[in-house]
Amino acid sequence: MAEESLGESNRTNAFVLSARKRTMQKVIKTAGEGMLFAAASFVAVIVLFIFYFVARDAVPFFQIRGFSEFFTSSNWYPADDPAQFGSLAIIYGSLMVTLGSALIAVPMGVAAAICLSDILPFSIRQYAKPIIEMLAAIPSVAFGFFALVILAPLLQNNGGPMLMWAWWILVSPFMILAVIVISDLLTTKITDQKRRQQLHIFFLILFGLLSVFLLFKVGTILYGIQILTGTNALNVSIILSFMALPTIVSVSEDALQAVGREIREGSYALGATRAETIIKTVLPAASSGILAAVILGIMRALGETMVVWMASGNSSQIPEPWFNYLQAIRTLTATIAGDMGEADQVTGSARFHVLFAMGLLLLVISFISNLVSERIVVRQRKILSGQ
Amino acid sequence: MNIGTRKILDRSFTAVGIGSIIVMAVALMIVVVPIITNGIGAVFFTGTVEHRKMLFSEFKRGDSEGLSSEVASSERYRAKVYEMLTGFEAELETMAPEKKAEYKSKYAQVRAALQALLGPLPGDSAPMLTRFKYGQTRWEKAEEKLHDFLYESKWDNSNPDVMSKEYFVSRAISFQGTSLVKLFPYVKNNLEYMLLPEFTVYWGFITDSSVDSHFFGGIWPEIQGTFFLAVGAMLFAFPLGVVAAVYFTEYARPGFLNSMLRSANSTLAGVPSIVFGMFGLAFFINTMKVSESKSVIAGALTLAIMILPTIIRAAEEAILAVPKTYREASLSLGSTKWNTIATVILPAALPGILTGGVISLGRAAGETAPIIFTAAVSVGSAIGLADVFSSPTPALSWNIYNLASEHEAASQIRHVQYGMVLALVSIVLMLNLSAIVLRARISKKLKG
Repeated sequence: MAEESLGESNRTNAFVLSARKRTMQKVIKTAGEGMLFAAASFVAVIVLFIFYFVARDAVPFFQIRGFSEFFTSSNWYPADDPAQFGSLAIIYGSLMVTLGSALIAVPMGVAAAICLSDILPFSIRQYAKPIIEMLAAIPSVAFGFFALVILAPLLQNNGGPMLMWAWWILVSPFMILAVIVISDLLTTKITDQKRRQQLHIFFLILFGLLSVFLLFKVGTILYGIQILTGTNALNVSIILSFMALPTIVSVSEDALQAVGREIREGSYALGATRAETIIKTVLPAASSGILAAVILGIMRALGETMVVWMASGNSSQIPEPWFNYLQAIRTLTATIAGDMGEADQVTGSARFHVLFAMGLLLLVISFISNLVSERIVVRQRKILSGQ
Repeated sequence: MNIGTRKILDRSFTAVGIGSIIVMAVALMIVVVPIITNGIGAVFFTGTVEHRKMLFSEFKRGDSEGLSSEVASSERYRAKVYEMLTGFEAELETMAPEKKAEYKSKYAQVRAALQALLGPLPGDSAPMLTRFKYGQTRWEKAEEKLHDFLYESKWDNSNPDVMSKEYFVSRAISFQGTSLVKLFPYVKNNLEYMLLPEFTVYWGFITDSSVDSHFFGGIWPEIQGTFFLAVGAMLFAFPLGVVAAVYFTEYARPGFLNSMLRSANSTLAGVPSIVFGMFGLAFFINTMKVSESKSVIAGALTLAIMILPTIIRAAEEAILAVPKTYREASLSLGSTKWNTIATVILPAALPGILTGGVISLGRAAGETAPIIFTAAVSVGSAIGLADVFSSPTPALSWNIYNLASEHEAASQIRHVQYGMVLALVSIVLMLNLSAIVLRARISKKLKG
């Protein structure tokens, strides 16, 4: 570093130190730097330790029981004699809530990030950011408590009407939009002005009626649904999506901000509207960063323990049919948290080690997705800065 | 596409973006508002004479004279209830055998409901558990119990296609023609005189320890446990994190080693919290044997590892935000690099570092999964500072889970659960709010 060498040469010229003092200073300096380095590498040591100690207790399980049962069977009877450790349903449950929360959180999170970086004026953004931070700060157990004590009874008692209202409120604006866009697109090719307008109106009415019919039909079907248990995959997915949102919003906002002004201004100069600019130029340029955000957000949902433990129902079976979000499920994290207490007393048994096998699985998935998202971010930064 | 449609699309795009932020704000409100409104009820509520009795005999609080006059006035109204009960018991003896058997089981239910409402009745043996020593201490609970007393709940399973429905049958009807029938309207009309509800402010909810697994009393052991765990974690993680951040920003040279260390940092930040718990169990307890079994120190160490990456990142950002001119000015005055860091850069970066620290403190206080296997117990009294190396502690986050999902009477003590959640959420949000305010002040100051 330039400043340092400058400082040092100045010093040696200004004060003549004895040789002993100079060596002392050097020793202290190296020792100090060594200690700083030790502190910094402590994190790496911890990561290695985590891998080692989780793997150390996970390996005996695979030695005793092999791989095939764990990944292919869904018979989870760890306390029976003979015990069965089929974890397929549990892994599936984890994937299910992760996917469910991603379906809710990704569109919302990306939309919110776009809004924060491109649409809202600075004065409003100042107030929107703390909301997101507060959402991130609420402890998971408070979310779990909310899911268990407030949301679950609501879903159980008024599940059908709630689903219907959610469907209407969420889908009808998009339906209207789709009707307008489709009827416009279908009539753009027609050159005759009068015919075009007539057709346009005809299509608007046709698709409008169709979409109203669809809205009501699906609405009544949803209204008739009886939710047998409020602690189910849907409940957990909703709550997890709110926990994943802050991560997705803040990381993808960074990615959107990293896309330079020039790209946006170029697009505006060509006559694009703001929506077109964002969708056609900004989003593609920021896509890898947003992907990284999505991965990080999803990992938060996959690794979350308390909400799924409290509100997922903890029944280890693959729902019937497989996409039924209204049934109770069980996840890897909840199984680890719930079964460790009972397995603890018999350290050394397969029942104890299977939980570490699950932990190892989680650890490996999170490690890989972290690496991937990091690579993506680095690559995007390179592309955007250097071209 | 024609220009009108493009404009509509543009507007609706904006609407979707703003809408999603509004949804987030609404979600925050939906989660936080019921927690606040119900949580406040743990401290401010309409307490009955039973609450005052409980406070006096369990915590030696309240004045004995006022209490005894209150008890006397409530006993005047209760005496009539007891009279009716003994009257009916005498009547029961004179009945025909099959009728007697029928009424006996119904009478037992009535008696149980009354016990829940008013506490032990004369003639009962002294209850073993404290929760049965008193009647309902909260008026809204007493009203629920009054409903249980007046009506019998039954389930309608007649239609197998729909879920069975609960419906209520008045108990008075089934006692038609006996002397007990007068009891029901009497209790309904005079409950207020028997329980003497009045507005109560129970600050002891925060400072008392719990009585009979949170049926009565407060949550002090949990608050203290959370404090010990979070502060303990900070004691380990904060100095280490700041030192590591100094290394990363001032000394690290770009290269393979550095990028690996940074990778390790982000990997650690992404590890699921439950895995930290497993690691804490496998490493700190089973291998290092920092304690015999669960202990505060093991939990604090586990939490420290969990919050370390956050602290490092925040400290790094704070150090990098210190203007370069500070550094140059200090170096040009002839101070050494180390001197510059210690006397110029760190003091200038301190508010930013503290912000990160405060947020991490909140995270350590709120996290549950890492302490399940390493530090938390569901029941226990507040531990002394000397016990942190050997004994586990109750903690807010863990006990919220435990009371809400594993407690044998979870639905009876909702107010305690809400109170606990409010305590935890307000601790965490206060810390975060102060961090937000702190950061706003820093950015103003740096702008000049």
